[in-house]
Amino acid sequence: MSGDHSSAPVAAQVRHVEALLEERGVLDAGEIDRRIEAFLAGGSPLNGARIVARAWLDPGFRGRLLTDANTALEELGLSMGGGLQEQRLKVVANTDDEHNVVVCTLCSCYPIALLGPSPSWYKSEAYRSRVVREPRGVLREFGLELPASTRITVWDASAESRYLVLPRRPEGTAGRTEEELAGLVTRNGLIGTAAV
Amino acid sequence: MTDRFAPGDLVRTSSRDPAGHSRLPRYARGAVGEVVEVAGHHPLADERARGRTAPPQAVYHVRFPAAELFGEGDHAVTVELWESYLEPVDRRGKGRP
Amino acid sequence: MSRINDVGGMQGFPAVVEEPDEPPFHSDWEAHVFALNGALLRRGVYNLDEFRDAIERMPPEAYLAASYYERWFAAITTLLAEKGIATAEELAG
Repeated sequence: MSGDHSSAPVAAQVRHVEALLEERGVLDAGEIDRRIEAFLAGGSPLNGARIVARAWLDPGFRGRLLTDANTALEELGLSMGGGLQEQRLKVVANTDDEHNVVVCTLCSCYPIALLGPSPSWYKSEAYRSRVVREPRGVLREFGLELPASTRITVWDASAESRYLVLPRRPEGTAGRTEEELAGLVTRNGLIGTAAV
Repeated sequence: MTDRFAPGDLVRTSSRDPAGHSRLPRYARGAVGEVVEVAGHHPLADERARGRTAPPQAVYHVRFPAAELFGEGDHAVTVELWESYLEPVDRRGKGRP
Repeated sequence: MSRINDVGGMQGFPAVVEEPDEPPFHSDWEAHVFALNGALLRRGVYNLDEFRDAIERMPPEAYLAASYYERWFAAITTLLAEKGIATAEELAG
């Protein structure tokens, strides 16, 4: 990643290209700022956390989520639409015996409209190269040690689907509200590099 | 247009190094996996990357044991692959080249 | 093509480094590049597969040396020139 001193020329060139495109009518005035604002206001890991908490509390919703997540999301007022085309959301559930982890080895595909930007590590060559070959080792680096008996499936987002891991509900959380449960879910848990 | 493959089918991925943009990762070339599900229907990315339109074709979630891909590992990797990248394999292991 | 972006299973890369509390974008210009790509895709100047292809066509050493959004910006300027929206000289400023 470039540091501030080397990114300054890039910043100037970006401004230059934007101005050029505005001049040519390819960009509307203010369009860039509006897009940035809309993006930052839209997707967030909190959306994923709400989905997970609802699935933990409602087995019917969980089943619908695993069968057809795009439709199930609408029950929470969420959507995978709003972009150029609606992407299929594939939700993969962790169980006592199985753990799922998501990567895009070829670039960095991620459900950004739903969850917001992906973390920088998700985009890195280190993650993209290593997690398909040695997922246990990579998860260990994230502080997640899985029993040898746990079967790991790595999902490589190589086509049009985008993925969300449904983590296991932690022990000792009986009686908590949906909001409290959502508060337990992290962005890494939704990717599969954390238990929750 | 009917889907060529169904869940449970064994498929072998292409071994070719294609001429341009493609979405079959190198590590999954020439590998035998099992179709988990039909994941959707989309125009082939290779064609779209050339600025062409293309008819939608099935994309499948195909599951590969790590040992098949890397010669080692106890995990599985599921990759979403266009039908064009796949050939059938019968369960006795014979497949068209 | 066997291109530099296709790193799945490639060996020799280091441990994954996690940046705590990282912001959505590390600089304003990154956010602008993100939004610029969205605007150009929406207008149909190019499609997403052409965009990925343009990133992948970067010379390997340039790809590896560039940050994530530097790669995006390189692809955008490549496509703007190839699609005849502006010349390379005009884009360089």
